[in-house]
Amino acid sequence: MLLELVSAGVVISACLAIFLDEAVYSVAALAGAFMLTSLLYALNGAIYVAVFQFAVGVGTVAVLFLSGETLSEKPLTKTQPKQLVVLGVLGALLSLPAFFFSVSKQNGATYSVPFGEALWGYRALDVVLQGLVVMTVALGIAIVLYRKKKIVKRSVKQ
Amino acid sequence: MDFVILSIVLLGLGVYGLLTQRHLLKVFISIELVATAATLNFVMLASSLSREVGEAFLILAFSTDTCVSAVILALLVIASRKYGTTDISKIGEPEEEETFEVDA
Repeated sequence: MLLELVSAGVVISACLAIFLDEAVYSVAALAGAFMLTSLLYALNGAIYVAVFQFAVGVGTVAVLFLSGETLSEKPLTKTQPKQLVVLGVLGALLSLPAFFFSVSKQNGATYSVPFGEALWGYRALDVVLQGLVVMTVALGIAIVLYRKKKIVKRSVKQ
Repeated sequence: MDFVILSIVLLGLGVYGLLTQRHLLKVFISIELVATAATLNFVMLASSLSREVGEAFLILAFSTDTCVSAVILALLVIASRKYGTTDISKIGEPEEEETFEVDA
């Protein structure tokens, strides 16, 4: 039953994230969806993935809060409590399939391969390649920012 | 296979948001929801089949997802600065041209 409730919470939070007018509230709802998804993973025995989802979610939400404040214009209408109730009901309706088709775990998670061995034994090449991609992105950002800084310095001198 | 339904609902919400929302941040949130739906499907399938390899694969998918999010967010910030609006329907529209009155 707990899994079904958490699943319903995920759907309701997703509904609120999409349909709320104010961007900051949407980001807060998205944070809720991420946290509940992480809880769902943890309840299903996928602890490592839950931790990663939590970390990634927290990072994304922090950046979104910062950019949400700078990017968002003031909405013409403020979110009304009635709108919140309607969205909650919509989310509950959309999460009904999760209740009808029980999302409880079918079988116990008895892993034949330990996680570390699975990660490094089967997907070592992928891990290294991903590291390279992330490093390339970081380097690209650093180069772009350095060039921009140089251009600004030149224009200030002139 | 029950979690497939939950991820389909999330995917549907994300796609609906992508098609209907005009605010740049909402579009980003919709993309995040679509990514979450895909991840959920992977994790739950791996969990129900008791395969750690699926979860290991997911860790890699998370890093890709984070890179994609960072690039999208950077693009959103650049677009909003360049066009001065967060309305996606106004981005790419030609700027208003000056009209010259012709004396008859």
